[in-house]
Amino acid sequence: MAVNRWLATGNYFTSYRDEQRIFATHLNRLFFFAFLCCLFVWPLLFEVSNKYMLVIDNILIAIVAIIGLNLLTGFAGLISIGHAAFVGVGAYCLASFARVIGDEHILITHAWPVMIILSGLLGAVFGAFVGLPALRLKHLYLAIATLSFQMIFEWTINSMTFFNQGQTISVGRVFWFTGQVMRADHYVFWYYVVLTVIIICWFMASNLLRTRYGRSLIAVRDNDRAADAMGMHPGLTKVYAFALGGFFAGVAGALHAYLYRGVGIESFTLHHSISYLAMAIVGGLGTLNGSFWGPLAIRTLDLQVDNLAEKAGHIFSANLSLATALRPLAFGLVIVLFLMFEPRGIANWWRIVKSYTKLWPFKY
Amino acid sequence: MSYFLQLVVSGIVVGSIYALSALGFVLIYKSSRVINLAHGQIIASGCFITYALNVWVGIPIYLAFVLSLIITFFLAMGVERLFLRRLIGEPIISVIMVTIGLMSILDGIIYLTPFGAENFSFPEFLPTTPIMMGDVSISWTQLVGVIITALLIGGFSWFFKKTTIGIAKRAVADDQLAAMSIGVSVPKVFGLAWATAGLTAAAAGGIIGNITGLNFDTLHAVGITVFPVVILGGLDSILGAVVAGIIMGLIQQFAGGYLDGNWGLNSTAEVLPYIILLIILLIKPHGLFGTHEIERV
Amino acid sequence: MKTNKKVLICYIAASFILFAAALQPAAAQTYKIGLSLAITGPTSDAGVPYSKGVEDYFKYANDMKLLGDDKLDCMIKDDAYKTDVTKRNFEEFLDQGIELYLNYSTGSTLGLKKDFEEEKIPTLPASFHAGNLDDSNYIFLPIVSYSGQLIGLAEYVTKMHQGETPKVAMFIHPSAFGRGPVEDLKKAVEAGLNIEIVEVVEHGKDLDNTAMLKRLSSKGVQYVFCHTVQSPVATMLKDAQRLDVAASKFGENGKMTFLGIHYTGGNDLIALAGDASENFFWTTSYTLTSEDTDGARIQLEMAKKYGRDDKIANSHNYTNGIMVAQIAVEAIRRTKAKGKKIVRENLYEELNAMNGMNAFYPVTTVGPVTYSKTDRQGVDTLQLYKVKNGVFRSTGSTFTSEYYKKIQ
Repeated sequence: MAVNRWLATGNYFTSYRDEQRIFATHLNRLFFFAFLCCLFVWPLLFEVSNKYMLVIDNILIAIVAIIGLNLLTGFAGLISIGHAAFVGVGAYCLASFARVIGDEHILITHAWPVMIILSGLLGAVFGAFVGLPALRLKHLYLAIATLSFQMIFEWTINSMTFFNQGQTISVGRVFWFTGQVMRADHYVFWYYVVLTVIIICWFMASNLLRTRYGRSLIAVRDNDRAADAMGMHPGLTKVYAFALGGFFAGVAGALHAYLYRGVGIESFTLHHSISYLAMAIVGGLGTLNGSFWGPLAIRTLDLQVDNLAEKAGHIFSANLSLATALRPLAFGLVIVLFLMFEPRGIANWWRIVKSYTKLWPFKY
Repeated sequence: MSYFLQLVVSGIVVGSIYALSALGFVLIYKSSRVINLAHGQIIASGCFITYALNVWVGIPIYLAFVLSLIITFFLAMGVERLFLRRLIGEPIISVIMVTIGLMSILDGIIYLTPFGAENFSFPEFLPTTPIMMGDVSISWTQLVGVIITALLIGGFSWFFKKTTIGIAKRAVADDQLAAMSIGVSVPKVFGLAWATAGLTAAAAGGIIGNITGLNFDTLHAVGITVFPVVILGGLDSILGAVVAGIIMGLIQQFAGGYLDGNWGLNSTAEVLPYIILLIILLIKPHGLFGTHEIERV
Repeated sequence: MKTNKKVLICYIAASFILFAAALQPAAAQTYKIGLSLAITGPTSDAGVPYSKGVEDYFKYANDMKLLGDDKLDCMIKDDAYKTDVTKRNFEEFLDQGIELYLNYSTGSTLGLKKDFEEEKIPTLPASFHAGNLDDSNYIFLPIVSYSGQLIGLAEYVTKMHQGETPKVAMFIHPSAFGRGPVEDLKKAVEAGLNIEIVEVVEHGKDLDNTAMLKRLSSKGVQYVFCHTVQSPVATMLKDAQRLDVAASKFGENGKMTFLGIHYTGGNDLIALAGDASENFFWTTSYTLTSEDTDGARIQLEMAKKYGRDDKIANSHNYTNGIMVAQIAVEAIRRTKAKGKKIVRENLYEELNAMNGMNAFYPVTTVGPVTYSKTDRQGVDTLQLYKVKNGVFRSTGSTFTSEYYKKIQ
């Protein structure tokens, strides 16, 4: 261990424990907590319009889902083209409660943290169930199995009257210590909730990756036979990876339901699954901080493209097809360009910036 | 009985369209191990090119159809050269995602054309009165579609068996390293695989467009529907694509004919293929005719 | 310090406004309206002409000074048929301070219903789903709901049908939008409407409807009520023509007559189905440009004035958009005429007062718009159209649904 616990100019690890620290130096920790404080304080200082708060909440919820997808696809190497369906399982868990006991029931409005965790658990159960084919299938075939789960999920929701056949099932407003969270505070309230959830999730995930259960995911991804030889059970590990992914997705789903105060199938379609995958890839697969960059980048891109499309729509008002085309074009190009030129995602840029600042102002 | 026979006939019609759509998918997978999620978009563009050539340029329909095959041939080849050549050897997820990206880009390009938002239909060039065989009827469009499908599939089987390029393709599919060592240019084969896949996709597009009208949503949805077909038939088997296509067409028609409307079921034809897909994946992942290459963990 | 400054600015601004208001009571104002709809993505084939209709009519109102010197500013945003995005757009519109909101899809109208209630903002959706009106007070359907249209159609069938109870099948979109009127039609049957619903079919993305059509025909179905978008109807009509089960005139024995409501018809259907669309019956509350009416003339003039192509100019969804904008402008005009402020509450009141002597007669519909506290469906009158030689022609006189009133 370096003598100076504040700055480190290189790796001075003398034990594995040192290497596995979440914060390599005190400075890192300081920055981290300062950043967290900023995240908590800024909504109090600035007035943000509801629209942008909604956008931000949306990004944060996507981050929760992507942490799950990253564990599943990035760390365990299992491609899931059905992640939106897992998110949907979480949301529909809450919706089912709303259907059975009424959307203003005390369980939903007061015990919402319990409901969120419950949705996560249900997501995990479904994840494990869908992961069962992983005992027999690999790679591409597994990806197609998750795709078929996505299709079956959509059909089930769409055709069952219990789920209101995919129409919006409303979810009541929640209560906080100060009373019911009304419209004016709704988005700020959920900002804080989701932020807290993300911080918990992040600690859970990064601590998990320091344990044997986390390492087994990576081992199975890299070479499942070698992992088998080292005493891990590849099949079970995969099922458990799916359960993990499903848990985070389920939590995200419940948050989504509360934020939008309703659940409809439209938010959990194949298109959303694809866009989750894109977020994971653009962020950087197999890196935890990639889970933050990806949603941020893709959602911001969406918003910017929408604005641009709108401007384009005004300029070429006779021909709206250009505006229509911008969205898929931008989305597709971003995916393709990242895959071709920066397959490690934005997380890699972050790494470069970090290693640069570590040495600055020196070259070596 | 005539009800049953009618279902069989339409099942075969729909099935042969699936077979043709699945053929392109299989061709790409067979030689380059890429699953192409943008297949539906290529099908749609083939259809739109045919329409544009026929109606806007004024070329006779059959010629327009052939021309569109040629155009899509080169289009798909270009796509492979531009996007996929760089990703040879990258992990599967990258390859899947690149085809997803491609799907989005093609969507964007199609939205730039009038086809993105509007509906068209081909001018009638075949008699509209159906052919009746007893109680069973089949329209001329469908009949011509089935014939073209049969011709194309027959042609491709011959091509793979007899020609040098076909044999080279099979060699690459079998073992890339060995093929390279005997002088087969693997990238060229990949390009050709995409090109031929584009050609079959355009053919499928032209036929579907004639049957359903030109609606982008309907056309690119076919790209997702081929998944169950290719999994059932085996991802790398042409024969499998044909057989599974027809089986799937029949299953869908029977589901529509016998399940829907009973026991409160509806649009079972939509979901049944995916249920079959899951079952196949669980009990026989390499499909009916696919190569046994799945290893268990 | 900061707050002081803010307060100071507010004071200055307020005093300016007061001052300005005192000086010029009739200063030109701008009223903000928001429209979120699918210009891209699913149903954009209907959304694009709709948005043009709204845009053009507001332009027209500004150019023609329908509100004097006051201007209307309608913000149009694309939501790609996604409720999430609609919600975002709606929040943005609220931030901008809209007084009236125009919405589009069934899904988002149902999803945002609670928000409309809380915000107390009058909303005019393009979706005529009857469920929009349940537990809500601020949603105003421009024309009679899908249920009303469908029951009206069914009444027409019972009137024109010869022989025993007509056997009917429904061909619907697999969504909230499609399933909406099914229950209501069943209720109407219970209430004594003389039809027999043999089957309700939800279509998929089928390439072939043979199985379905054969089944229906073997069950003796004579009328198929369609409630979906054009493309599946076109596929079905083509198959029906091929199988020779389509009736060549209304109610032909042993064959099937196809009938549809608002979103199944229009020129897009003819474009998709070609010949097979002959004898398709379609009902809506709008005038069409294929008929020579005042509404059609004004619509075509407007389209010409703002440089729209033929396809948009003749689209019934262009009419649809124009009509919704007309209601909005009329509500604002009336509120203004009474000297009241243009705010949500007053507009809401004014919309609710649009009945009896005060009913509003838009030029592009076949009947008047009537709203009240209990009736938030605008035009109740329907007109039946039929495809004849590749264009929709009106058949018979206008009608309203009797049983729909009974079951409400």
